[in-house]
Amino acid sequence: MKSAAAPTVFIIDDDRGMRQAIHDLVESVGLRAESFATGEEFLGRKQIGRPSCLVLDVRLPQMSGLDFQRRLTETGMQIPIIFVTAHGDIPMSVRALKSGAVEFLTKPFRDQDLLDAIQHALERDQAAQKQEAEIRDLQERYRGLTTREQEVMTLVVSGMLNKQIASEIGASEATVKVHRGHVMQKMHAGSVVDLVRMADKLKLSPCK
Amino acid sequence: MANEDVQKTLAELSRDLEESKARLEEAQRVAHVGHWEWDLETDVVVWSDETYRIFGLSPQERPMDLAAVRAMVHPEDRESLYRGVDEDLGAGVRPDAEFRIVRPNGEVRTVHSVTPKRWSSMPGDAKRDSSGRPCKLFGTVQDITDRKRAEDALQRTQFYLSEGQRLAHMGSWASNDLGIRWSDDLGIYWSDEVYKIHGLDPQNGVPNLKQYLATIHPDDRASMAETIRVMHEQRCGCDVTKRIVRPDGEVRYVRCVGVPVFEGGIFKAFHGTTMDVTEHELLTQELRQERAYLTEAQSLTHTGSWACNLLTREIFHSSDENARLYGFDPSQGEIPFDRFYNAILAEDEVALRVKLENAIREGADYDAEFRIRRTDGAIRFLRGIGHHNPSQEIGEYVGITMDITERKRAEEEREKLRQLEADLAHINRVNMMGELAAALAHEIRQPIAASITSANACLRWLARDPPDLERARAAAARIEQDGNRAADVINHLRSFYKKGTPPERGIVDLKDIIREMTALLRKEAVRHSIRIHSELHEDLPNVLADRVQLQQVFMNLMLNAIDAMKDTGGKLTISSRLTPEGQLVVSISDTGVGLPAENTERIFDAFHTTKPQGTGMGLAITRSIVEAHGGRLWATANQEAGATFHFTLAAKSEADA
Repeated sequence: MKSAAAPTVFIIDDDRGMRQAIHDLVESVGLRAESFATGEEFLGRKQIGRPSCLVLDVRLPQMSGLDFQRRLTETGMQIPIIFVTAHGDIPMSVRALKSGAVEFLTKPFRDQDLLDAIQHALERDQAAQKQEAEIRDLQERYRGLTTREQEVMTLVVSGMLNKQIASEIGASEATVKVHRGHVMQKMHAGSVVDLVRMADKLKLSPCK
Repeated sequence: MANEDVQKTLAELSRDLEESKARLEEAQRVAHVGHWEWDLETDVVVWSDETYRIFGLSPQERPMDLAAVRAMVHPEDRESLYRGVDEDLGAGVRPDAEFRIVRPNGEVRTVHSVTPKRWSSMPGDAKRDSSGRPCKLFGTVQDITDRKRAEDALQRTQFYLSEGQRLAHMGSWASNDLGIRWSDDLGIYWSDEVYKIHGLDPQNGVPNLKQYLATIHPDDRASMAETIRVMHEQRCGCDVTKRIVRPDGEVRYVRCVGVPVFEGGIFKAFHGTTMDVTEHELLTQELRQERAYLTEAQSLTHTGSWACNLLTREIFHSSDENARLYGFDPSQGEIPFDRFYNAILAEDEVALRVKLENAIREGADYDAEFRIRRTDGAIRFLRGIGHHNPSQEIGEYVGITMDITERKRAEEEREKLRQLEADLAHINRVNMMGELAAALAHEIRQPIAASITSANACLRWLARDPPDLERARAAAARIEQDGNRAADVINHLRSFYKKGTPPERGIVDLKDIIREMTALLRKEAVRHSIRIHSELHEDLPNVLADRVQLQQVFMNLMLNAIDAMKDTGGKLTISSRLTPEGQLVVSISDTGVGLPAENTERIFDAFHTTKPQGTGMGLAITRSIVEAHGGRLWATANQEAGATFHFTLAAKSEADA
């Protein structure tokens, strides 16, 4: 996972002329570009570098761009998509944007519009990448807690007092205090507020 | 003295004689009777003055003898007259003869000559010779021409009458009275024909009342007896038709008309006629039946019949149904012309009046449709057909009026349907255009977008410091490529179908498609007086094609043909033939405006049109479709008028299936 890799713009368009033109435009602003004639070709690629984004033609020979977008979501690949089309209509663009597309451009488009959209998409991917790394870190720390500590953490972030937690888990208040100290330390939490924010990112739910 | 006396007496006698003679002459003149004396020995004949007049001569104009008399007898009667006289004299009978004479002026008269009984019985009147034969004859002659003519006329009249009665099956009768005592003799006279009508023998005499009533059909007998009783009591006439039964059982219808005859206010007799009206009656019944059928038919078909004079506005006949068409009650008697006419809607009346006036002026028939407001307020469509017989008065028409409201409504429905079909055909074309435009937009937009993007990239390579000329050149090269690509799309517009979504091909029966298209376009064609005619190859093979696209081909070419004949009408012919190579050639021919003189091929160019509302795409699309099916489309000018479009299709053989 090389976070230092140059941002990459992937292009999928069955029209060779269009594909080459976008590819060249992207490279002219110093970005890396990789282009494919079909979605299958793109999926056949082993690694997708980050940050990256996808410029996708809505009308593809085998599968429509929208179907391809859904398929990417299903496989857990989260890549910002910019749709381009020669005959888009409003319902189609609404659907695309609702499904998380960054932009929906109609051919022919202004080059700056496409480049702005690419910039925006790459930033979004970068932010997403950062957030993903943070969550991975938190998850690692959380996994470092003992079962009892995880239990206490869940109860703490749900707003219970030590006394209540002690009665809940059937231990002394002093023992709870010790567990709580370990949790704060292991999770690198400066305060209960920090811990609550972490639990939120870890999507911990106050369980019974 | 005695001599004087004698002289005197003689003179008196002579005067008396002269007076007698004068009176005789006068009497003869008045009675048209003359006398004659014939000396059989000398054949000298002496005539009285009136005899001369009868023979057309002046009295005592010249002496007469037998030869002169004989010459004056009508040649046809001459021989028989003298033979008769000789025979009579020979037999000792008084001659009595009727014969014709010819007067000197050529006039023919009939005379009756007779020897009076008194004279012949007196000895010495007819002087006899020694053998006993009379030697002198005396007689009278009378001009009976007028009487004879009256007799002849009467005889003729009687003959005509009896003959007429016989022919007319009409007899006459008279009766002093009609006794009401059943056994009484009716005291009547029946002409032969009355006997014949009743099938009775005149030899048996006139039947009495009871016998007469027995001849009447049992169902009519009581009413006939009543009629006779009333006639008798009230001295009134009668006019009855009743059935009689002849002795042989045959039933006849007899009409009996009688009138009382009065003289000086005193009843004298009944006179009357008896007619056999069986044929007439049966005909009447048949007519009545037919009339009932006709009335029923009129009511079923909402058709009324009438006869009237449109000029004088007199109605001679108007059937019940004719009244009902207007909502009038036919049982309320005659309806005046104006009541019919005023029911016509004002907006239709003007045109109808013009039509009727023209027809009346030209003595022509007419056929007109108009609307009326019925008495119940409903608006109905009527069609009136009037026929004028040239032998009739000006303005006299017989005709029928039909209620065509239902038919008219159905026509309106059909017209709506036709409009809908026309709209559909139009929408079909518009849709086709729309699809084409959308597809075209994509095809052209793609290279244009690519070239714009490449141009942007090119500019960016050039804007670098230092400019990347290599990349800029590559981008420019792509711009050129994409520009050409866009141009190609436009140039090869017609090949759109090859590049579009692959058509769904299947085995298509051309006859089916032609039948469908003909049905769809027939009304449009009829509206422009165009006949659609097919001359298809007997074994028209199936073809492998996209059915919808082939429909478009036929529709385009047929609409094109109809367009070409819109103003003139004409004939649209669809024909087919097979080439020896197994290619199917379909030809659609019109008799319309024809092809442009030059550049015939240009008609197939996209956006080429000669029609104000045309898109110019029809033939271009059609050619694209045909070529996409591996065929060709071309046009030829017809020798006489119009153009023919031909296209080829590969026939689908069984082996390919």
